[in-house]
Amino acid sequence: MRGRLVIAAAVSMLLALGCATPAWEQPPPPTQDRPVVQEGMFHRAELDNGLELLVLEDHRLPRVTLGVTVRRGEGVVSFDQAGLAVFTAELMRRGAGDWNALELSRAVDELGASLSIRAGWDSMSVGVAGLSRDLDALLEILSAVILQPQMDRREADRTRAETLAQLEKAKDDPGTLARWHLARALYDGHRYGRPQAGVPETVETLDAKKARSFYRSVFVPNDAIFYAAGDVDMASLLPRVGVALGAWERGEVLPPGPAPPEQVPAARKIVIVDRPDLVQARIILGHEGIARANPDRIAASLMNTTLGGGGFSARLMETLRAEAGLTYAVGSGYGLRRHPGPFVVSTFTRVHEVRRVLDLTLEELERMQQDPPSEDELAAARALLVGRFSLGLETSAAVLGALVNLEVYRLPPDSLDTYRGRIRATTTEDTARMARQLLHPDRLVIVLVGPAEALRPQLEQLGPVEVVEP
Amino acid sequence: MHETRFGALIVASLMSLLLLADSGGADDSSVTGADDVNASAGLLSPLSSLEDPVDRMLETQFENGLRVLTLEDHATPVVSFQLWVRVGSRDESRYTGLAHLFEHMMFKGSDNIPPEKHAQLINARGGRINAFTSRDFTVYLADVTSETLPLVIELEAERVANLDISQETLDSERQVVLEERRMRTEDRPMGRALEALMALTYTAHPYRWPVIGWRSDVEKATVEACREFFDAYYVPNNMVIAIAGDFETGPTLDVIRRTFGKLPRATRIPRNPTVEPVQTGERRAIVHFDLRAPVLAAAWPAPASGHVDGEALDVLSTILSAGRSSRLYRRLVYDEEQALDAEGGFWEMLESGVFYAFATARPGVSIDRVERLFMEEIERLQREPIGQDELDKAKRQMEVGLVNGLATSHALASRIGREVSTFGRVRPLAERLASIQAVTVEDVQRVARTYLQKDKRSVVHVIAAPPGFAEQNGAGR
Repeated sequence: MRGRLVIAAAVSMLLALGCATPAWEQPPPPTQDRPVVQEGMFHRAELDNGLELLVLEDHRLPRVTLGVTVRRGEGVVSFDQAGLAVFTAELMRRGAGDWNALELSRAVDELGASLSIRAGWDSMSVGVAGLSRDLDALLEILSAVILQPQMDRREADRTRAETLAQLEKAKDDPGTLARWHLARALYDGHRYGRPQAGVPETVETLDAKKARSFYRSVFVPNDAIFYAAGDVDMASLLPRVGVALGAWERGEVLPPGPAPPEQVPAARKIVIVDRPDLVQARIILGHEGIARANPDRIAASLMNTTLGGGGFSARLMETLRAEAGLTYAVGSGYGLRRHPGPFVVSTFTRVHEVRRVLDLTLEELERMQQDPPSEDELAAARALLVGRFSLGLETSAAVLGALVNLEVYRLPPDSLDTYRGRIRATTTEDTARMARQLLHPDRLVIVLVGPAEALRPQLEQLGPVEVVEP
Repeated sequence: MHETRFGALIVASLMSLLLLADSGGADDSSVTGADDVNASAGLLSPLSSLEDPVDRMLETQFENGLRVLTLEDHATPVVSFQLWVRVGSRDESRYTGLAHLFEHMMFKGSDNIPPEKHAQLINARGGRINAFTSRDFTVYLADVTSETLPLVIELEAERVANLDISQETLDSERQVVLEERRMRTEDRPMGRALEALMALTYTAHPYRWPVIGWRSDVEKATVEACREFFDAYYVPNNMVIAIAGDFETGPTLDVIRRTFGKLPRATRIPRNPTVEPVQTGERRAIVHFDLRAPVLAAAWPAPASGHVDGEALDVLSTILSAGRSSRLYRRLVYDEEQALDAEGGFWEMLESGVFYAFATARPGVSIDRVERLFMEEIERLQREPIGQDELDKAKRQMEVGLVNGLATSHALASRIGREVSTFGRVRPLAERLASIQAVTVEDVQRVARTYLQKDKRSVVHVIAAPPGFAEQNGAGR
């Protein structure tokens, strides 16, 4: 302790003497990569039924997060049953074991715990979080939901009605409307062309029977991951998980859903979603992106950081917000899924400035190809991604979430350990290649949500325009 | 507005409306298999033995009045720096929205730093930087790894000492803020509801206007007004610096002393004198907006931060809104199937609070019916005492928020910064737990009767205009 104080005093003297040069003019001090997980805290195991276990011990606080993730989600649902995985997840939340919907919620709330059941494109998850001293009760809830969901018919009717109402309400949000219409314009006929929760015509056909059958085909232990993070120790947890989930019977693993077309769209097209009342237009541009497991993901991500993913350091933010005052926010990014999801640029502006925003955005996309990230820009992008990663290591639940994500896509288990190294090894040639290969400003879908009457005249010579109702 | 007073379950959706966070671009979309970390809390026994990191906090007061709170924790890879300035929209006089517009200007350059460079420098070292303005506070935040902390402090001090407000950058930035206003308020049913509700609940007090300001004021605010505002409120005796996480206190205090330590103290910090008159009857308003799912918003005057009834009002909020076994979810969403969401909660501010009610009706459902169901639940709390089991459940859920507040450097820095800015001290965990435990069934009924009276409420309906309305009134603008 005394040693540290002496060093601290010496450092502060140096700082005091060195005050002529402000910190912003000095090169960034060297950073030290902390290990992703602390030695001896991370464990893997497997139950006899094939269930993989990932456990990250962290005893700083008396709480624990645990759950089960299966490797199938909306991505294996057919186009005309869109929403089935989301519907199934919600139905699982409404009664399990001896608990009906209300009793299950009360069991969770009485522990001060949380229970969330979610369906994404490539996975479904049942997660519980609570005090570590309630571990057995939390495992009991988890086990009941995973092994004995009630899938009650009356609850299915309620869930369907509520989902339909939510879908209608979502049209009040211009951002949601924009994303939905982009997906439709890119992937119509493929599952990716409809929202995760489905559309009214598909949701209307969903019922308890379909949910039960989907649950059975997707919740199989030999394609699932159990995870726990927090104040637990592996030695006492392992037998308890065996009791809670050991009886879960193996099953056949559903094949993944079909891939969407490789190039979408074939040519530029513009969709106006007519909302005559809005004073601001939502703008979203997109075409095909890359898959989660694409080996170029890091290089693509760095290129995108310079383009629009890097907040105030991104070119799009600089051009549209800082220089022109045309928007409050602009961003770009990849929908990373099993199959390539969309690459998207998204922003908003006052209705009469839409053309200027579109022109500047298209110019930035073209500039990224002609004038790809410089050494300085790439260095900034690398630092941003490495830094975000380091900040993300703060909670064990976040680290474990990232490790589970690797498992979902069957990526190398050391991907987190090598992540910072792979970022630093990426060169300006790599990001230039990404800009050339992955950006297609000439063939984009452009979706605008706002008053068609004021938007349409601004779009001359940009491409064919379709006006649709929300 | 107090994150431990709310709990994520209650106001996740509201937080972004109540605060004006100035964050960057749209999120990268990606799929993860992970779930939220919603930790939980228990009865007194497991938590009363929990170490409160705040016990290790050091407070340093500089001669110019600046208070610096430092809380070292080397078990985490992150350090969170927060500058809490005791200025918010309540301090505005001529131009509403000035506090928030000014927050934006803090990123637009100083004598030695060009516009936008501040955020870029932090980004380029992997840090997260943000700011927000509320009715009471303006807060500048940075989460970084430890080697970047000196830069964060020097940049923060540079803009506080040498901010450059030019006509050109102000004109450009006001357009950005107007876009923010369109996005958050003008084109959004909940934004419309909140704006109308506050203007109805407060007739005189500055809490009545929106933090982002009225459009015409944002359009006209001047460079001089920004400078005056800066000179009046951005003074060391109106600031608290809170730092938590992986850093060394000694050298950090030296950097602060060398930078912030030079700022001159203000002799007087101006405050608006207006006190809200007592409300003597129900107030109602209707907002027409092109929407499918009508919105109900209501509010009752409630106590200011630190009032003895605060914990009982929080218990009341939790019983109404936390989790799927809560009364509002059960009645409005589940049993009656009339609403898509419904929440009621206590929102405390420095000078007075409100108890709010928000609900979204299902498309096709009358907002009157949703209001009737909501108010029936309020009246039931006044009429019948809650069950002991319901009280115990609510207390457990509230303790969740307290444990969550210990999980990250950011949450710790927020807690100490907010508490010292609000109460002049940090309330220890044990004290919070004890005051939650002290709430009785009778307390909950009493605060429901005292504060949630029918003739004290203000009610807003955001509904679609009746047919013909748009043509007559030019709602298309």
